[in-house]
Amino acid sequence: MLVVKSVSKIYGEGTNRVVALNNVSLEAAKGDFIAVMGHSGSGKSTLLNIIGGLDYPSSGEVILDGRRIDAMNEDALVDIRRGRITYVFQQYHLLPSLTALENVLLPLTFRGTNNGTQRALDMLARVGLDKRAGHKPGQLSGGEQQRVAIARALVNDPALILADEPTGNMDQKTGMEILELFRQLHREGHSIIMVTHNPEIARHAGEIIVLQDGQIANRVEQGRSRNNEH
Amino acid sequence: MELHRLVAKDVMRRKRRVLYAVLGVVIGIMTVISILTVALAAESRIYEQLEEYGANLVVIPAVSQLDLELGGLGLGSLTVGQNYIPEGKVSLVRQITDDMINHSLGIQDERDRYAAPVSPKLYVSSEVRGVSVMVVGIDPEEERRMKTWWRIREGEYLDGTDQALLGALAAELLELNAGDSIVLNGFDMTVAGILRETGSNDDYQIFVPIRMAQEAVDREGMVSSIDVRALCIACPVEDIADEINMMVPGVRAVAVKQIAMTEMGMMDRINRFMLALAGITLAVGMFGVVNTMTTSVHERIRDIGIMRAVGASRNQIVRTFIYEAIIVGILGGVLGFLAGTLLAYGIGPLIFPGVSVGYVPGYLPLSLALAIVVAVAATLYPAFRATRIRVADSFRSL
Ligand SMILES: Nc1ncnc2c1ncn2[C@@H]1O[C@H](COP(=O)(O)OP(=O)(O)OP(=O)(O)O)[C@@H](O)[C@H]1O
Ligand SMILES: [Mg+2]
Repeated sequence: MLVVKSVSKIYGEGTNRVVALNNVSLEAAKGDFIAVMGHSGSGKSTLLNIIGGLDYPSSGEVILDGRRIDAMNEDALVDIRRGRITYVFQQYHLLPSLTALENVLLPLTFRGTNNGTQRALDMLARVGLDKRAGHKPGQLSGGEQQRVAIARALVNDPALILADEPTGNMDQKTGMEILELFRQLHREGHSIIMVTHNPEIARHAGEIIVLQDGQIANRVEQGRSRNNEH
Repeated sequence: MELHRLVAKDVMRRKRRVLYAVLGVVIGIMTVISILTVALAAESRIYEQLEEYGANLVVIPAVSQLDLELGGLGLGSLTVGQNYIPEGKVSLVRQITDDMINHSLGIQDERDRYAAPVSPKLYVSSEVRGVSVMVVGIDPEEERRMKTWWRIREGEYLDGTDQALLGALAAELLELNAGDSIVLNGFDMTVAGILRETGSNDDYQIFVPIRMAQEAVDREGMVSSIDVRALCIACPVEDIADEINMMVPGVRAVAVKQIAMTEMGMMDRINRFMLALAGITLAVGMFGVVNTMTTSVHERIRDIGIMRAVGASRNQIVRTFIYEAIIVGILGGVLGFLAGTLLAYGIGPLIFPGVSVGYVPGYLPLSLALAIVVAVAATLYPAFRATRIRVADSFRSL
């Protein structure tokens, strides 16, 4: 489903030149759960951004379902973001003016679906937050905000969920609850690529990719986690 | 949920920032509206003053005087032509005057047509109670429009055929009161009213409906002169006089020199200067609005990134900013109109003593339109720029 071919990303020029990614290749099949690990600054976020079309690679190719994301124009990327790929960020990235429900509705709003309230409520129920639908992000805990962000990521029924340290801002217990949610989504057939520093979390992934200075330093197949029923 | 609801919620949360932007718009609109309002008040004040000048164009019979001479010996002069103007020419004079004024005012719609007072007169010398007096036959309605300063001291204005209106001194001399009867050239008439003193010839005269005067001297269908008040900024009264002289045979139109006309030309120049000033203020205000809007967009780079990450197109992002600008424009337009009107009330009398400033409801849609255009224009560029940022970068920028 997803092929990353020799992707490099270079920021800046001259003395400011930073090679954030250096010739990274990987593949993800439908239903895969891949964990991306590595030290701070090793290029994990950069890789995720490029896979999701939030940033462009300096060289190499990103191919989703046979189409090159790296060469897509903005309009085509908008289509991808409206269904194929969604994101969950470390900082949740909810809109502060909107309630939990409205934040979940947001992707449907941009898609032009004006009667998605029931579906958005379902998604909130799915992450156990239907009782907090009317609350604004400022009134929710970090774990709850991340659940809202996950519900928002699910509302368009994406094929691939990209999560950049989704548990990075929370304590161990809350982090494990969020992880449990991701494992459930994985079991339901969503493909997931997740950046994490937590080896405990990575243990549940089908494959672990370890980045170091923008290169893949290690790749661990934990085959049993691959979900092939879907 | 619709896009504009999203914007409305965001505006509610960022009240302070939005109010800054509104303030920027208000300042620009306020200046424009106050200037326009004061200018309009000043203009109507000048028109008011001009009306008190009365006629500025007099049409008299074209009489030529031939000097008779014989062997170097002057034999006096011989008057050739008529001393009266046929009544039919009144409407011709009226039409020429109105056409030229309306044309220069740019009025095309028949309903808005401006009609200048055109007042035909017939002078008759007569005798009342043994005193010789000047009786003036007038068209009561037109004469009243011409002489806006006339006030009735006693009784009523002319309202029927057998009535007379007396100048203050004439009434005093003849010892007449409203309701008294007089005989004019064998016609019985009632004194309908007496004018207050005006300090002009009117004080000595007796006014009767022109039909009466014509009958009294057997001059049906004749008038002695036609007074016209042809007030017009862009068309000098001389031009109107020339046109009448050219188009209407048998009459001579004479423009009465008017200081008022220079005042009008001044007003026109002042108006233009003030409008230029308003334009500059608006342009400067526009910079302020561009500034706040740019800041407003910048503050929301992260939100823009979020919206794009969850599927917003660039168009939708720009649209949210346009909606916000429309809200800012509506608020700024209404408040700017109110503030501008208040300002006009405050400074109008200081700039033009004696003007009575009135609020102009027609300026509300104008300020709304102007404010919305300014706000949207100020937002478009920064909003467009913001959508060019890569989504990944928009998360990093804060
Ligand atoms: N816009 C940018 N301009 C310049 N350098 C950048 C930019 N973005 C990232 N980098 C650099 O690229 C490298 C990789 O950054 P990246 O954010 O991908 O690391 P990361 O693995 O996600 O780190 P962390 O675990 O701290 O989130 C870093 O050295 C970073 O400084
Ligand atoms: Mg990172």
